[in-house]
Amino acid sequence: MSSLSMASRNLRRRKARTILTVSGIVVGVALIMVLLALTEGTATQTNGLIREILPAQVTIVNATTPTGSGAGIRALFSSGYNLNQSTVAEIAGLGGVYAATGQLSSTAYLNGQTVLLAGIDPSSYPLATNGLSIQSGTSLSTAPSDQVVISDTLAGQLSISVGSRVTLGPNSTGGAPYTVVGTFSSSTTFLDRSVYIPLSNAQGIAGEQGKVSEVYVKVVPQENASTVAAEIQDKVAGVRVVTSTNIATAVSSLTGTLTTVFAVIGFVALLAGGFGVANTMIMSVAERTREIGTLKAIGARSSQVLKIFIGEAFLIGVVGGAAGVAIGAATSLLLSSLGGGAGAGGLGRGARLFSGVLAPAITPELVLLSLALGIGVGVVAGIYPAWRASRMDPAEALRHV
Amino acid sequence: MSDPLMVEVRGLAREYRHGDFPVAALNGVDLAVRRSEIVGVVGPSGSGKSTLLNMIGGIDRPSRGSIVVDGIELGRLDERRLAEYRLKKVGFIFQFYNLIPTLSALENVELPLSLAGMDKRKRIERARSLLERVGLEARLDHTPDQLSGGEQQRVSVARALSNDPAVILGDEPTGDLDSKSAEALMELIVSLRDEQKTTFVLVTHDPIVVARCDRSLSLRDGRVVREIPKGEGSRFADSQRATMDGLY
Repeated sequence: MSSLSMASRNLRRRKARTILTVSGIVVGVALIMVLLALTEGTATQTNGLIREILPAQVTIVNATTPTGSGAGIRALFSSGYNLNQSTVAEIAGLGGVYAATGQLSSTAYLNGQTVLLAGIDPSSYPLATNGLSIQSGTSLSTAPSDQVVISDTLAGQLSISVGSRVTLGPNSTGGAPYTVVGTFSSSTTFLDRSVYIPLSNAQGIAGEQGKVSEVYVKVVPQENASTVAAEIQDKVAGVRVVTSTNIATAVSSLTGTLTTVFAVIGFVALLAGGFGVANTMIMSVAERTREIGTLKAIGARSSQVLKIFIGEAFLIGVVGGAAGVAIGAATSLLLSSLGGGAGAGGLGRGARLFSGVLAPAITPELVLLSLALGIGVGVVAGIYPAWRASRMDPAEALRHV
Repeated sequence: MSDPLMVEVRGLAREYRHGDFPVAALNGVDLAVRRSEIVGVVGPSGSGKSTLLNMIGGIDRPSRGSIVVDGIELGRLDERRLAEYRLKKVGFIFQFYNLIPTLSALENVELPLSLAGMDKRKRIERARSLLERVGLEARLDHTPDQLSGGEQQRVSVARALSNDPAVILGDEPTGDLDSKSAEALMELIVSLRDEQKTTFVLVTHDPIVVARCDRSLSLRDGRVVREIPKGEGSRFADSQRATMDGLY
């Protein structure tokens, strides 16, 4: 009889109690698992996300653009806080700046659908930013034109392809004819509804002649980005300089709050689960006093008795940990799929951005860690009751009825 | 008798503290049991019968005096050695059988063999043959709750025999059995003694047990007050007396 098989039979002898005890561990492990998956996912996702929404190392916006919780991201796409186009040249002239380009972001209607309109300068845009990842067709030509590049997602939704003629304008009805010259791959929800046209055309549609909403700057060498950013902030009047670091801080403070909440709940649940295991084990030891006395009387050493009871706690931990990992993984997957199903409206976009950040990643290390946590809590909680069992005086234990 | 001494108890005393006052459970008991003897221990509750048995069994330690079992002086053993002594030198039979409820008859008999580190194939073989010996070959896979009291006590006899002990100690072995099962159990014990020269010390209230013992000691207030020879024990049993007050 191995101590583990004796332990497992004892657990099966009292099914309801075992299930309840195991549940405590399950809840704790599942919560911790989701927490760790979120943390893991957020770390890898944040960088990618920032690269998408901030196409360049340094972004300059109007100093009056509202700030506050989350406003750093939203403000990049709101109109009414634009800069004079001359600012672009001013910034481009500063030392350390490799290239600068202006973009005017606003909203417009393409074939009657609301889109996020981006007016860019086709000649400087690729130099100052990471550029558009063209999927089919070409990017905008540098000559003035009525060309438009749209996201592949939008192209799919509106059944548009390279070569299609579309209508683009400030109102849902009417507008000017444009030719789709290319589609870019929109890997995140953020760019799904974006269309790119030459800057002057966008200024016409938005009624913002000679204005840009953002200036993107590339710094060479890259390490100087924050120094140059500070210099721009210093020398150019009326602007606010945003670097990837600023955004990362905003995003991580957002996810950090959630992570902390999960962490606290998870650890409290796991602690409660541990107390549950300890309680069950103490009851079990008390009920089996005579059995323990018998084991010792027939020659079991204290260490062998200890092993049997630690074995029970270990099994509770294994089962609780495994079920917790399964439920935690399922919850994590559910969380990420909830994000994918949200709408694409103004609020929806915000929600999707948020869920893009909450992208839980389940790694083998994470699964092992969560499982180990469940087993660890079970075993630790079982140590005291098992020790009590092993220290029982056999003669006294045998008198117990 | 030419058989060697298996159990030798000298001047055995055991005191318990009851509040500030020491209470004597045993007060100078001498006992010698030869190999293949069946010795009964009788006496009223509190006379020290179970205390004596527990100390021979190595689950309680004397306050004074010595116990030597199969040449081993128990007073010299530390906790670990004492556990090994219980495992290899004594077998216990309890009033309520004390089988492990989650284990089958076979596994209960395997348990001491497993604790002694015997490998699985060998111990299954041995447990099976022991259960056959006590007449339970058809009950190997039954758990205790699927067995009658008499059957459970047979399993516990097989378990007690498993590591081939020097002495088997019974604490009211028939206390929870009907008289028919009690007779059958004593039949088994006597035949084991006859075949294998197994030594038994049985604490009991039961005339059926006393009748089959080679001799019995009557304990009162922690002392041996009388030794009852076999014939006398049988007479009391034959007269079907419900109580054994006459023996004390």
